[in-house]
Amino acid sequence: MGFKNFEGADEEFDLAQMEAETEEMLRLRYLNKDNAVFARTAGGFVSLDIAEGEKGEPEHYDRVRVVRSFPFTAPTTYISIRTTEEKSKEIGIIKDITKDVSKDTRKMLEEQMSLRYFTPVITKIHDIREEYGHAYWDVETTEGPCKFVIYMNSSSVVSLSDVRLLITDLDGNRFEIPDFTQLSAGELKKLDLFL
Amino acid sequence: MNLKFDLPAAQQQAFTPADGEEIRYCSPYDIGADGKMKHDGYIVVTNQRLLIISGQEAETELALADITYLKCDPLVNNGILIARTVQEPEEHILARFTMKHVSRVAFIAKGALLLRDGVPKQVISREYDKTCPVCGRALRGTKECPKCSHKPSVLWKFFKLCGAYKGRLAIIAFLMLCVAVVQLMVPKIQQVFIDDYLKAGKGGMQEITLYAAILISVTGVTIMLHVLRYWMCISMGTKMSMDLRQMLYKKVQILSLSFIQDRRPGELMNRIVNDTRQVRRFMEEAFAGMFSCIISMISVVVVMLTMDWKLTLMSVVFVPIALGLSISFRKNIHRRFHMQWHRFDKTNSGLQDILAGMRVVKSFGTEEQEAEHFRKLTDDFAKIQEKNEVFWASLFPIISFVMGMGVYVVTYFGGLGVLEDRFTVGQLQQFINYTWMLYGPLGWMTFLPRMITQLMTSLERIYDVMDEEPLIKDHAEAVELDVKGAVEFKDVTFGYRSYEPVLEKINLSVKPGEMIGLVGASGTGKSTLINLIMRLYEVDDGQLLIDGVDINDLRIEKYHSQIGVVLQENFLFAGTIYNNLRFAKPDATEEEIIMAAKMANAHDFIVKTPDGYNTYVGEHGYSLSGGERQRLAIARAILNKPKLLILDEATSALDTESEYLIQKALERLTAGCTTFAIAHRLSTLKDADRLVVIDGHHIAEVGTHNELMEQKGIYYGLVTAQLQMQALKGEDAAEATEALA
Ligand SMILES: Nc1ncnc2c1ncn2[C@@H]1O[C@H](COP(=O)(O)OP(=O)(O)O)[C@@H](O)[C@H]1O
Ligand SMILES: [Mg+2]
Repeated sequence: MGFKNFEGADEEFDLAQMEAETEEMLRLRYLNKDNAVFARTAGGFVSLDIAEGEKGEPEHYDRVRVVRSFPFTAPTTYISIRTTEEKSKEIGIIKDITKDVSKDTRKMLEEQMSLRYFTPVITKIHDIREEYGHAYWDVETTEGPCKFVIYMNSSSVVSLSDVRLLITDLDGNRFEIPDFTQLSAGELKKLDLFL
Repeated sequence: MNLKFDLPAAQQQAFTPADGEEIRYCSPYDIGADGKMKHDGYIVVTNQRLLIISGQEAETELALADITYLKCDPLVNNGILIARTVQEPEEHILARFTMKHVSRVAFIAKGALLLRDGVPKQVISREYDKTCPVCGRALRGTKECPKCSHKPSVLWKFFKLCGAYKGRLAIIAFLMLCVAVVQLMVPKIQQVFIDDYLKAGKGGMQEITLYAAILISVTGVTIMLHVLRYWMCISMGTKMSMDLRQMLYKKVQILSLSFIQDRRPGELMNRIVNDTRQVRRFMEEAFAGMFSCIISMISVVVVMLTMDWKLTLMSVVFVPIALGLSISFRKNIHRRFHMQWHRFDKTNSGLQDILAGMRVVKSFGTEEQEAEHFRKLTDDFAKIQEKNEVFWASLFPIISFVMGMGVYVVTYFGGLGVLEDRFTVGQLQQFINYTWMLYGPLGWMTFLPRMITQLMTSLERIYDVMDEEPLIKDHAEAVELDVKGAVEFKDVTFGYRSYEPVLEKINLSVKPGEMIGLVGASGTGKSTLINLIMRLYEVDDGQLLIDGVDINDLRIEKYHSQIGVVLQENFLFAGTIYNNLRFAKPDATEEEIIMAAKMANAHDFIVKTPDGYNTYVGEHGYSLSGGERQRLAIARAILNKPKLLILDEATSALDTESEYLIQKALERLTAGCTTFAIAHRLSTLKDADRLVVIDGHHIAEVGTHNELMEQKGIYYGLVTAQLQMQALKGEDAAEATEALA
């Protein structure tokens, strides 16, 4: 096939970039109070400064995402700090925010996480009414009273452990019952359809 | 999805519109700054400002002109609206909301930016809300809440639909009346027999025989009437669901692709198949039963009243009680069996999981562990099942007892009446029989609300499609055009969503018989351009001319019959290859078909199959490879001798050799036929008369292969990148062979 000009000047370009991407994919950098400085921004987020980056140069991020690696089982360890664009990249991981960063930073990061994750905990069940394939819940949560609707199928109420339930409503909101054995007998009876 | 909620009176106090200012978008936000649920927060976008209203105050007020950045950021199970403004150049949070509003706010943010830029387009969302924003009821795939919208009710439409079957309905009603009358007669005959013959001691063998004969013939008549009625209902239900299905199918065909693509695949199929079946089932199982119950209950009560009104009242009093009790039993039982079903489901999927993953289980040697896991699941299921069976076995007699309460009362007081000589024994027997007739259908009637709701849900979904207006339809003066093949784009702008153009101001003039190769990275809008030529969508702005006539002025069917389309994914209908090939030209001769197949390099593999052109393909038929499907699709497209040929990655699943062969054949065919071709392998397109490179919503480059290679622009980059990838693969292959050697 007669493509001329095949040997262009930038022919190595693609290769180099792919190498770099692979490198980046495999990188695992731990952040702690010695190498990373987090600060609140005026807009209610946090910024990150790394004095000495991988190649020795300083890195600055106006706003970072604070993401749990194991949101259900380990909410305070392996916190991934990421860039904000759509194809978010990992800047680094904090192994344990109860140990590896200062109290102030920890508070800051926890604020960001409570912004990111919104899973009200159900403290009281007023009513669960079942109607033609849907269940209408009327509950009290840590974030205030709430009414929501779920599908009557097995994926709407998932057990995370023997006693812990995660409930997903039609819109995709989530609610948690950390220990259903703590509920009153009347509440349990309303719930037993889902256990 | 509603993007403009009505602002409640309380929140309106926070908002004083300036001159000429009006609300364009409005959505609640339901998480406060403290992370608590909130019920009085609103995001309001006017043609001048963006306001975040909390309670009766405007927390934030931004002039649209000051906004430099506005975005809805979806987080985990909630979302935030982020802005940057001239005054506050840092990203900051304006509002936070649950998943109910995330998509809504995303649309509104786009709308606000359009308003800021002075673009007069109103953003609309074709997504459906999951729950009714007004009453909170779950919406089952309909645009509006059937309870809150004030459209003519579905039930009314259903009655109108039934109107089309008046004759049958009249016959059914007549049969039901007959059944009721016959049923009422039986106890009366018994009474006469008991009082006038048995008790009076007048009866002999003859009377008993006569009585038996009468009873047998009455029973026979009842059975016949029932069968007849049931048969009528089934035929009506079947007819009705068939009519509905056809109406739906037609409607779906008329509705534009955008309607279909906005829905989950399978959802429309569900409506056509399941919802119409639901209607049929209702007509068969519930409809006639419902009316015959009502008719016979009313007539029974009337007859009983004429006999003894006091006793009648006593027995009727228990009807609501028995009904209430059996409904609550039903609920409880439903609950229990739902649980059992749920466990069963879990056990099943557990088993399926293990079986499907058997190779993994074996390779990791975790058989014991999995067996234990499965044993637990079955144990659970067995326990629940046992419990339910016991419950059912002990409850059933109780239910029967409760359902018979009225009868006991009648027996007691009626018996007293007989002793006091107010009744004869025959009359008592008659009365007791009527009471049974009154209570008998109650159990069945408790199913009714559920069945009616199911019917309503299905009807709502059916009418949701029926009431949709097609976006693309022939207008009155549409012309039948014999296409010659000139295609002209004049300032064409189009986007699947009005606020997000995929193609902008496209200008291109194609002469009849020209072959155009469309090139560009994936997602740049090549297929979109072709969709416009196929008139699957209408252009938003500008004009698309076919032989100088606006495409919107063409009669769609005639136009479509003159274009041939081969796509990457080609659908074959269940049927023979022969039937699939002549899909667009049912009167094609065998010779024409073989010629077309040869041209598509398909003849050889077709003849190789045992059944040749009569090979059955489709879902359960002979399985063809992707390449074979594509070749069939090409044959199908060229059989019709189209004036416009569209090839969208039509040869992507072929190996280079077959591609080359088809290419050569197509070249001969496409002489005199305007062709638009998209190919992933750019070498396929190098013989095109012109290549059109699409990039960044626009036409970036136009020219022949050689011209574009000389320009060293985008096309040049794409070609070199592809050659390099080939070279890389080649190297790998070389290395691999080396390593093997
Ligand atoms: N049915 C659709 N609804 C909404 N967006 C679509 C639809 N089809 C394609 N798009 C979007 O339009 C853009 C162009 O797509 P397409 O024309 O298929 O690209 P190409 O064929 O060049 O790869 C893409 O961003 C794609 O996500
Ligand atoms: Mg495409």
